[in-house]
Amino acid sequence: MNEANNQPVFFGGRHFFVLFVLLSLMAGLVGRALYLQIVEKEFLSSEGGQRQIRTIKTPAYRGAILDRFGTPLAISTPVDSVWVNPSEILNNLPVLKKVTEQLSINYKKTVDNLKRKVNKEFVYLKRQIEPELASQVADGIDGVYIQREYHRYYPAGEVVGHLVGFTDVDDNGQEGLELVYDNWLKAEPGARRVIRNRKGAVIEEINQVKMAQSGKDIYSSIDMRLQYIAYRSLARAIKYHAAKSGSAVLLDSRTGEVLAMVNQPSYNPNQGKKEASGERRNRALTDVFEPGSTIKPFTFAAAIDRGLYSQKSLIDTSPGWFMVSGHPIKDLRNYGVLDLASILRKSSNVGASRIALSMKDEELWLSFSDYGFGEPPGVSFPGESSGYFSHFSDWQKLDHAIMGFGYGLSVSITQLARAYAMIANKGRYVDVSLIRKDSEKEIGHQVEKHVMSAKTAQMILEMMEQVVGPKGTAQLAAIPGYRVGGKTGTAKKSAVGGYDKDNYLSVFAGVAPISDPRLVMAVIVDEPTQNGYYGGKVAAPIFQEVMSNALRILDITPDDIPSLRVRIADAEKGV
Amino acid sequence: MRRVYVVMLLLAFVIGSALTVIYVKHESRVLFSGIRNVQKKQDQEIIEWGRLQLQNSTLATHSNVESHARKTLKMKLPEIIELVRLP
Repeated sequence: MNEANNQPVFFGGRHFFVLFVLLSLMAGLVGRALYLQIVEKEFLSSEGGQRQIRTIKTPAYRGAILDRFGTPLAISTPVDSVWVNPSEILNNLPVLKKVTEQLSINYKKTVDNLKRKVNKEFVYLKRQIEPELASQVADGIDGVYIQREYHRYYPAGEVVGHLVGFTDVDDNGQEGLELVYDNWLKAEPGARRVIRNRKGAVIEEINQVKMAQSGKDIYSSIDMRLQYIAYRSLARAIKYHAAKSGSAVLLDSRTGEVLAMVNQPSYNPNQGKKEASGERRNRALTDVFEPGSTIKPFTFAAAIDRGLYSQKSLIDTSPGWFMVSGHPIKDLRNYGVLDLASILRKSSNVGASRIALSMKDEELWLSFSDYGFGEPPGVSFPGESSGYFSHFSDWQKLDHAIMGFGYGLSVSITQLARAYAMIANKGRYVDVSLIRKDSEKEIGHQVEKHVMSAKTAQMILEMMEQVVGPKGTAQLAAIPGYRVGGKTGTAKKSAVGGYDKDNYLSVFAGVAPISDPRLVMAVIVDEPTQNGYYGGKVAAPIFQEVMSNALRILDITPDDIPSLRVRIADAEKGV
Repeated sequence: MRRVYVVMLLLAFVIGSALTVIYVKHESRVLFSGIRNVQKKQDQEIIEWGRLQLQNSTLATHSNVESHARKTLKMKLPEIIELVRLP
């Protein structure tokens, strides 16, 4: 037995039992592994992905609106919004307390708010704050996240408010250029799929679902320097004359680009929709008025172009009135026999009316249509008006007669400026634009259309110069050193059932310099109640102030230096 | 014997490629974090640029420039009488 005791005993049953247990355990493991790897693979990896893979937005910013030299009128700058996942952050109240302190928001209210929204995953703590502050707050803190957003700023504020317009919270253009060129300015945020670690930091990018597309910039035709001067002058004049509203438009007469366009009252686009809609209106494009005497140069041009009158023609305006279909057409007094230039200078209604009546209805209508009356300025601005100019077949004789001095039709101040630009542009049609016309090429390729002959345009220019001259109605528009021409208008405001006796519109439109016209400006002041109401008294000084500065800033050579009577420097005397 | 060598060789390849995968994966993570850093920097520069632009246009508002020129620097347009023409 001893021998047998020393022999290792082979417990066959136990051996196989242990082996079986071990093998089956292993088989179980392998089976489970196979099961997970093959059968449940998709489910598990998608579950894993859901915890790690996120599609995140790539922010893109809206294009800027710039003036013609690149000064920003509207730009988007990045800001951050801080958000939390309520269920996450509510487990960590001390952190939340610190965060609320940093953001200077009420801790108790925030907690209550988050508790109410506990089954949401995304709650803003504070929107649109400075990125620096946001990253300080969220840095290294679990459960507090940052979302990049863009805030639209209008650095020039109310000076360009009407032109630029503004956007809503979601960055859609609401008014002005922001609305007109919304598609061009608009940004398309991109999307990409990324893997994030447990702390929410991105560790790997899987793919780009959509490229972020930032908006494109727009160079407007505005020259901010001139815009500011025009704004300041108009605002000052409106206040001085206690007027209701006013507008002014400054055009480059050769290209039709709008260099300045201002209105009163104005509003600040940084504050968006708070202002009443009346103040947000770009009156220079939307509001129309009867242009009165400012239309006379065009009556003249139409008649001169048809060979009906020449510079030397004389017209008898005595006795200072005449009757058309039972209605009197009156001058201020009896001017007697006048030549064309004097009719313009003295602004004789009788003379202008006689000239208008010398043409057929159709002829006057055709010419005025050519000058762009009744046709919108074509800048596709919201609410842009085409004015009122009825077809000649609807005219009575009286309509025809008063049309000659600017009643019975209505225009916007921009339309009036465009018509004057055509005179300044030697009779060539002018295409108004709020966008900078880039190359000489683009300007050269414009279809050249003559609306009046160059000779007629020149003649009208010289007549308009006399209006600003020592005997004219617009002496306050004269600019030392430059030859300037223009025409005043003082129109009675039309009211229900006729014309309002005491309410006037003061208008002035002018061109400078006469020898080689570059700039055209039209100004209107609505219902001046103090310190005069004549166009020559109210609107002409605004023209003078803005135009003299514009000529200087744009470095346009004075074309009438001798009139300045400045001393000539003498090298020997040192002066 | 030759078969053993072939297997060894293949084994070496497998291990080699496995190590390469590890290396490349690591490399890609490093590069990715590099990109992230650069993007972060770019982002900060954009923020800075926007801030500077705003600051510039606020400080250089024409009304500011004008009042500064008139009041602080006592600048004015010369009267015509003060002008002298060069021959």
